[in-house]
Amino acid sequence: MSRILEGKNAVITGARQGIGRAIAEAYAENGCGLWVCSRTDDEAFRKDMKELSEKYGVDIRTIFFDMMKEDEIKSAAKEILGSKIPVDILVNNAGATCRSLFQMTSMKTLRDVFEVDFFGPYLFTQLLLRAMMKCSSASIINIVSTAGLDANAGRSAYGSAKAALACFTRVLSAELGTKNIRVNAIAPGVTQTSLLTYDEEQLAEIVADSAQGVIGQPEDIAGSALFLASDSSSFVTGQIIRVDGFVL
Amino acid sequence: MTNLEKYNKAFMEALGITEDKLAGLEYNTIPEWDSVGHMQLIAAIEDAFDIMIDTDDIIDLSSYEKGKELIAKYEVEL
Ligand SMILES: NC(=O)c1ccc[n+]([C@@H]2O[C@H](COP(=O)([O-])OP(=O)(O)OC[C@H]3O[C@@H](n4cnc5c(N)ncnc54)[C@H](OP(=O)(O)O)[C@@H]3O)[C@@H](O)[C@H]2O)c1
Repeated sequence: MSRILEGKNAVITGARQGIGRAIAEAYAENGCGLWVCSRTDDEAFRKDMKELSEKYGVDIRTIFFDMMKEDEIKSAAKEILGSKIPVDILVNNAGATCRSLFQMTSMKTLRDVFEVDFFGPYLFTQLLLRAMMKCSSASIINIVSTAGLDANAGRSAYGSAKAALACFTRVLSAELGTKNIRVNAIAPGVTQTSLLTYDEEQLAEIVADSAQGVIGQPEDIAGSALFLASDSSSFVTGQIIRVDGFVL
Repeated sequence: MTNLEKYNKAFMEALGITEDKLAGLEYNTIPEWDSVGHMQLIAAIEDAFDIMIDTDDIIDLSSYEKGKELIAKYEVEL
């Protein structure tokens, strides 16, 4: 089977685990060179990425920064831009969750969630855009959440930050469309990763309310991220795609 | 090529305009210098001088003349 991202390069934030790791594997399997981002530089991550690189015969470079630290985001972008490797695809996947009722949500919590889920990706995109504009076509994919589209109690901070990222997605798609840079978002529903904060009873309820009767796996989200990165979605921009097995 | 020639070339190529339009040129006063044109201009200036312009300076680069002042910060003498 042909590798649909052959010759392209992607930057993926939060690539160590969960959805970001699954996207990294889907892209590598399809011939894409990668910058994989994580907060912590350790042997486990480097080894995992080296194995991925060898398995699929693609270049994978690790880079480390915290989305809450503007200076770190800038240095990381500088390193990526300085490499002169084109950036055809950017996946803003890193994210932090928060579940607390409105009256119990401090301003500090709200600001922290916005730093990781909105301000960080906003700045990172702004910095990398200059490289993306040099590509004949490029794709930006923001991982938002159904929590940013639906009204779920306890999600005032997280849902608002993801809603902001979803709005940013649509605005940016309008600003960049004629430059052949597509901007889309994926809104995963409940997906089996370390971010999952539901207990078994709540999970059972969610599953019962879903058309497919299962919770998502990171690979389910990665499939959509592969489509949005590839030329198969060349006429798709400004979309927020729910990938949630249809929660009724 | 002198640095001033490089600077002018970045403007002309990024915005698709001729040299006679440069003096007094300000952001958003011609269709070519919109927000997208601005990013192309930043990329062209960065490439020309091998620098990376800070976000605050990107926002401040509001005219052809202002840009000259700003890039002096990056040790580029025009
Ligand atoms: N799982 C779900 O049910 C679900 C549903 C909707 C949306 N999402 C979204 O999907 C994305 C991926 O989440 P996941 O479910 O795969 O969770 P995960 O396994 O916990 O992964 C989250 C990733 O985000 C990174 N991250 C968190 N805080 C960061 C920071 N301050 N700076 C840099 N990186 C940071 C982590 O990086 P390190 O590994 O380097 O620490 C981690 O790799 C998130 O944006 C999340 O909001 C998830």
